Amino acid sequence: MIRVYRALLLAQLQVAAQYRLSMFLYLLFSIMRPVIFLAAWSAVALARGGSVNGFTPADFAAYYVILTVVQHLVTAWNQYDFELQVRMGQLSPRLVRPLDPIHYAIAENIIWKSFTFVGILPVLAVIVITYGVQFHFALWQIALFIPSLLLAASLQFLISWAIASSAFWTTRTHAVSSLFDRTSFIFAGQIAPLSLLPGVLQQVAYVLPFGYIFGVPTDILRGGHDLPTSLVLMSGQAVWVAIAFVASRIVWRFGVRAYTAVGA
Amino acid sequence: MRRYLRIVLLFARLEAQFELAYRTNFVFDLLQQVVITATSLGAVLILFSYTETMNGWTLPAMIVVVGVFYIVQGIGDLVFLPSAQQLIEQVRLGTLDFVLLKPLDAQFFVSLRRIKFTAIVEIALGVGIVAVGFAKLGTLDLLAGLLFLITLACGVVLVYVLLLVLGTLAFWFVRVENLLVVYEAFTDAARFPIDIYPFWLRFAMSSVVPVGIAVTVPAQAVSGRLDAPGVAAILAATVGAVAFGRWFWKTGLRSYTGASA
Repeated sequence: MIRVYRALLLAQLQVAAQYRLSMFLYLLFSIMRPVIFLAAWSAVALARGGSVNGFTPADFAAYYVILTVVQHLVTAWNQYDFELQVRMGQLSPRLVRPLDPIHYAIAENIIWKSFTFVGILPVLAVIVITYGVQFHFALWQIALFIPSLLLAASLQFLISWAIASSAFWTTRTHAVSSLFDRTSFIFAGQIAPLSLLPGVLQQVAYVLPFGYIFGVPTDILRGGHDLPTSLVLMSGQAVWVAIAFVASRIVWRFGVRAYTAVGA
Repeated sequence: MRRYLRIVLLFARLEAQFELAYRTNFVFDLLQQVVITATSLGAVLILFSYTETMNGWTLPAMIVVVGVFYIVQGIGDLVFLPSAQQLIEQVRLGTLDFVLLKPLDAQFFVSLRRIKFTAIVEIALGVGIVAVGFAKLGTLDLLAGLLFLITLACGVVLVYVLLLVLGTLAFWFVRVENLLVVYEAFTDAARFPIDIYPFWLRFAMSSVVPVGIAVTVPAQAVSGRLDAPGVAAILAATVGAVAFGRWFWKTGLRSYTGASA
């Protein structure tokens, strides 16, 4: 398996090296969103005389800088690629190979995320300077942040894989994917830190998987939760990862059987 | 003039036939648009649950901003963006030759050829949201309403020129479809008034990528935040942009070498 992954990662690295410019242009998107809501919340904080429930503009900036990093490392886009592969019949040759197609997707995720990560750093630096952000990380926050980030990335990846696999029946999953992205836009901590969401919305965020995708790791590193709360939230992440894993396996297994190979 | 109008109607009919061939997708697109608009409004309401004003913008004025955002973005999505995408594609494939051979102005053709009808819903939702904002703002005098329409028209023209220029870049750089991502990313930021942004972003959104002023200025006009110099500035900018766009298109066209050359 290690040898397989070395080959897969190397192949993806070569692909990534070809599309450098377009990759960095797409980064604009992942950077713009957090900046938009950072600016909005800062304006609200200033209108209230300096802070919203304890968040000063600098706190918002710290939150959105960490969120951008988390979002970048966690987001998966397989559902969009996969739909194309099913629709164009490109999936068929992959299914014949002895390796589960999920591994191609995992390798692709790892390479592209680390490759483009360098690109967001200069912009984050500009934000840090503009808003005078100061970070205070306790050691346990960093220690918990890393596993929490990995759980979040797995969760998002498995959900996107389950949605992707539904393309076996529907061929077009674009609408479902955008609906999921749009819902997570509200509940995952993008339009507001989870603690600022009005009552019911906040409960929805923590009951459904959305809050565990971006919000929880961000808040852990930012110092938004104490140690016990962080651990509880991380077990919530683990539970959702388990559910998403089982669900994605089931959808995949039945989906492959239903697959009739478009274009065949 | 009448001839050009007839041609636009013909484009519209062709595109309608094309889009009605994929009806389920059409319905999903519509649904998606409603969800997107609702979540945007939701975001504004969440922000305003913590404050009465945001950098001087009241909730009704902010609702107008959201509405104008969807009108401007919708008009871009309706014709200018798909047409720019097509132009880039045609330059790359060399099929622009056929456009140039036609006995009509090529800039007219490449600017309006593609129409994406689902964007009409976006525009309609935008108009509805603006109407709600107007109602909440209370009395609206005739001058403010007139200024709103004029500045909105200017904004749409500015967005048009921006997309024309981005498309025209294909004459030199061929693979520029990714540059349209720049337009989309900055347009995303136009959902809030540009005065809340840090200096560098505000500057970018009122100069190189003028989507920011295209949305913010009309909303300023109805919330009493636009003065005479502001009106003059956007009018001058629009006239200048149109002239520049025409010149840029002509210059670009001169470096077009065709498909087989």
